[in-house]
Amino acid sequence: MADGVLSRLRGLRQSDRWIYTTMLVSALLSLTASFVLSVDAIILAADPRAALACNINAVISCGTVGASWQASLFGFPNAFLGLIAEPVVITIAVASLGGVRFPRWFMLSAQVVYTLGLVFAYWLFFQAYFVIGALCPWCLLITLSTTLVFTSLTHVNIRDGNLYLPDVASRLARGFVRADLDALFVALWLLGVAAMVVTKYATVLF
Amino acid sequence: MSKDNSRNIPSTGREALRQRQQAAATADRRVSIAIRSAWIAGLAVAALLIGVTTWSIVGARSGNTANVVAADGLVTPASASDSGAIVIGKPEAKVTVTVFLDFMCPYCGQFERANGGALAAAINDGTAKLEVHPMAFLDDASSGSKYSTRAANAFVTVANNNPDTALAFSQLLFAQQPAENTAGLTDATLADLAAQAGAPTDVVAAFSKQAYQPWIAKITKQAFDSGITGTPTVRINGQAFTGDLYTTGPLAEAIKAAANG
Repeated sequence: MADGVLSRLRGLRQSDRWIYTTMLVSALLSLTASFVLSVDAIILAADPRAALACNINAVISCGTVGASWQASLFGFPNAFLGLIAEPVVITIAVASLGGVRFPRWFMLSAQVVYTLGLVFAYWLFFQAYFVIGALCPWCLLITLSTTLVFTSLTHVNIRDGNLYLPDVASRLARGFVRADLDALFVALWLLGVAAMVVTKYATVLF
Repeated sequence: MSKDNSRNIPSTGREALRQRQQAAATADRRVSIAIRSAWIAGLAVAALLIGVTTWSIVGARSGNTANVVAADGLVTPASASDSGAIVIGKPEAKVTVTVFLDFMCPYCGQFERANGGALAAAINDGTAKLEVHPMAFLDDASSGSKYSTRAANAFVTVANNNPDTALAFSQLLFAQQPAENTAGLTDATLADLAAQAGAPTDVVAAFSKQAYQPWIAKITKQAFDSGITGTPTVRINGQAFTGDLYTTGPLAEAIKAAANG
């Protein structure tokens, strides 16, 4: 009985519908957060002392993070990148749910670009955590949803052999995904991030 | 794989097939053992991470891991004694100096100016420990801002989470003591002073939770019920100190006498 439920869940997790729905929902969350942060960036540009809704105390403060140099690393608010990239992910997810299959080179390009996005998201997370010393709820949502989009994209690209990996690596990667070890890895990763945030900020959050 | 099916294969071929099958089975078994081990290890790490996270949430909810939270939500600071005092200094110190104070009370400020240095020295060299009863009965003397309670809450939060900076924080609070019947120091100033004393950001940020207000009200009443009639009231090893509280010297001598006696 329990085994039946487990194997059905595992089957579901490997299905297109699950993967692309996860991707779609995560990308929508990312887009929402990017939009809010973009609007906040404009408000802050007009008035650096503006009271943002998510400035809750000295530590939970989008304003502190938003006013840092890291928040506009390329000379414009980072959140604009989310406004540019996430609609593409949403399109891929929706089209795939509708049955479209993209060429391998296309999916590989998406993987490369999104991997850069993931690296950037975590660079920002570590800057906020260790250097800026403030928490920004919308930024954390982006960290989470970027991780989930990356996970689903990687899952599908390994499964469908879109990454032009050498034979052995490809076989190992597929075995890894088939054993659901990717899900385990991401769960551990996110738990680790949550533990980092909570242990540092518990007295403020709870 | 029944024997009947393999009977037609020549014996050397049959042997080779059997070996291949065995090798494949061994490889499969190895892979599934590896996967199973990865899952077990992963779940163990997950349990650990969840444990660490939960633990720090539980700890933070009460301000400190060992705080006592009663059914009615009263948070008693972990570092408080039963009599409602915050203890600063080495527990094994021979002399116990007990002070009932209110951070708004001008005479407490005078007492601190006269004796703060000597008290700090006695605490630092291990001769004495200080029991502070941070009372709040002058809330009405701060134009509605409840300065006594806010200052006491800030002090208790620092003492509970970062005891080493509590004495410095208390000294700063008296150095910047507001006059009675003014609004007192703002929350921002309290936070600045605590940071100046060396309290970490997360401790300072916890002031705004005002977690210890109910406890402060309780120990204030408890102090009056036990016969305290005003602040500062000072005791040395439980005996009322009757010397001059407002000039430098007598208290230090009394501490020295108690240490030698």
